[in-house]
Amino acid sequence: MQIRKPTGVRLERKKEASLLNWNLKRPLPPEKISIPLSLASLPCVRAGDAVQAGQMIAKPEGPKGVSVHAGIAGVVEKTGILENGRNREISAIGIRRQGEPKTVPAPDPRKGWEGIDSEELLKIFRNSGLVMTNPGEEPVHVKIQRHVSARSVIINGCEPEPYLTCEQVLIMSHPVEVLRGAEILRKACGAARIVFAFEDTNLETIELIKSKIYFLKWEQAEVRTVPAIYPQGLESTLLQAWSRGKEDEAVVFPASTAFAAYEAVALQKPFYERVVTVGGECVVEPRSLWLPLGVSFQDAIRACKGVMREPEKVLMGGPMAGAEKKTGESFVTAGTSAILALPKEVVKKGKEEPCIRCGLCVDHCPVSLSPATITLAAEQKEFGIAGAWDAADCIECGNCAYICPSNRPMLELIHLAKGHMRQVAAHG
Amino acid sequence: MVDLKTSSGQTISPYIHSQNSLSRRYGRQTLALIPLFLAACLTGHAEVLRTLLISLVSGVAFDFLSAKIFGKKERLQTGEIVFMASVFSLLLPSRCPSELVVLGMFLAVVGARELFGGTGACPFHPLLLSRVFLQICFPGVMVEPALFAGESSVWTFAALLLSAGIFFDSKQGRWETPLLFMAACFFCEALFGGEATPLMFFSGVLFTAFFLLADPSGMPLTKKGAAFFVLGAALLSSRLDPGGFSIASAGYAVLFMNLLTPWLDAGFKPAPYRAKNLIQATYPYEH
Ligand code: SF4
Ligand code: SF4
Repeated sequence: MQIRKPTGVRLERKKEASLLNWNLKRPLPPEKISIPLSLASLPCVRAGDAVQAGQMIAKPEGPKGVSVHAGIAGVVEKTGILENGRNREISAIGIRRQGEPKTVPAPDPRKGWEGIDSEELLKIFRNSGLVMTNPGEEPVHVKIQRHVSARSVIINGCEPEPYLTCEQVLIMSHPVEVLRGAEILRKACGAARIVFAFEDTNLETIELIKSKIYFLKWEQAEVRTVPAIYPQGLESTLLQAWSRGKEDEAVVFPASTAFAAYEAVALQKPFYERVVTVGGECVVEPRSLWLPLGVSFQDAIRACKGVMREPEKVLMGGPMAGAEKKTGESFVTAGTSAILALPKEVVKKGKEEPCIRCGLCVDHCPVSLSPATITLAAEQKEFGIAGAWDAADCIECGNCAYICPSNRPMLELIHLAKGHMRQVAAHG
Repeated sequence: MVDLKTSSGQTISPYIHSQNSLSRRYGRQTLALIPLFLAACLTGHAEVLRTLLISLVSGVAFDFLSAKIFGKKERLQTGEIVFMASVFSLLLPSRCPSELVVLGMFLAVVGARELFGGTGACPFHPLLLSRVFLQICFPGVMVEPALFAGESSVWTFAALLLSAGIFFDSKQGRWETPLLFMAACFFCEALFGGEATPLMFFSGVLFTAFFLLADPSGMPLTKKGAAFFVLGAALLSSRLDPGGFSIASAGYAVLFMNLLTPWLDAGFKPAPYRAKNLIQATYPYEH
């Protein structure tokens, strides 16, 4: 049951190009990978050690810790520093492939996995390196522990951003595995229901999942849709639409996290690779494909036959809420849903003009803010006013900046206001 | 001005933008006015073209001058001045003396707009502020514009309908605003009655709804606030003019409602959706 009318903008979807190459392939392992380590992991290999694909290279540190696994077989080259998905420097383990590339190890099915209890499941998640496959990259067991009272598990198959198809391709290729993963997550959370969320335009996927639910005779599962407008389908908007204001009662997992949970529990496969959409007009053969965590953006784009021409911007994630990256220095992490190489024509922005108070940003804000008021206040350094107009509630979806006819730097100004408010909160 | 780069020197999202732009907006709105000018020529009001020329030239000149004086850039590229001049020429009586046209454009461009801080910053509708000022100072000259007064013809009305249709189709504004204004005006007319002929009434209401309320500066930001604004403007316009409606009464009504805009904005402040961990849940890329 929806409690608020969904708000957003209808974007050009641009998904066809990467859906042409429908089958999910695994390119040959790259020469080298650099796997970022969070503070919650402690390296357990040294430079010069030989490792196998899937081998643990960092142990979980503390209750919120999670293990890290090698994405390719090779030799540990160095544990160093790299820039992670959030433009921060963090430590990383480098692995250089040795000898001929090997195929991924065969799965080792776990007997009786269907009977494993919740506590044991959380342990498996922790030791399999399972983290959320969204930009938050929160360890799955930590997320579940934060939602002990959840009554519904929402499996998110929506991709409201243009170009992105990784979830859709994964669900279409492995629907039963995603369903079983969803059931594992439901059990781990102790929830009663599973809700599969899709965009209403994604008819094939909806039908496929509905038919599988029907044949599995699952009464605890249902499929719901959201309108295919951005940002409907993001975790926050799903909670907003369906939780009746009781967010604690629902917990959202991307469909790819459900798939990874299935692999970890049923096949004893640690989480060391994910499906990533490599796309954008500049890429020769845009597609969604399996990539080991830690592969560089350059190698990922090379696996799709490189670029036709120099991109103006390379993005991690979608064009609405992603982050600009440098190809050679950025690496695929658990939260990397897409690598996009976009040409000048696509990313060009018009000249900035003054606000004409047209109200378009207000009409399209999914959390009902007044972005014009907040940004006009931030521009005048009136951060108190920005705060009073609820700048802190902005989910940074980018709709206001997208829609503004005056091309105003809305998110920059909102960040400025939020940064100032954080400072005030910290120092009084 | 704020720093548009992140600490790592990269720009921040979103990386795509809609086709919306000010030049597109003003361009389409100006285009929508063409049938009205054609109708004016066909119905013997070709003087409006002279007024248009004077207001255009003076508008561009004042814009250029004020840009130099206030150290801003000219608004010619966005087409704002062309749109302002076009609407202003239709707001003036057909045989309006040239000096008044120039004075009016000076008041609108420099007096109302630039002195308040530029485009979008003026709390009042700049053209109506200028027109009301002229009307107070030169009541004998500033009669109702011929197109919407006694000489209003079926052709003018048909052209207005066409203009409104083009405007509507260009999707350059909230569609609810003009419709609500018209509905409210018709309701007031039905309730209070008026001396204006139906053609005069309809023409004035249509022009105000689509072309005067098309300037959102000075109007509330939210849909509810804007709805309250137009309802108030419609009621006041009908009560301020014994005929039921006139461009002059609409001018006073809109300016009065402009005064209330800050209260309407605060009163209709949208209630934000608050979810726990929302920011963490959504897109925690830190820029
Ligand atoms: S969309 Fe842009 S111009 Fe329109 S009100 Fe918002 S900030 Fe101002
Ligand atoms: S104010 Fe925040 S939540 Fe609202 S549209 Fe802008 S970025 Fe999205």
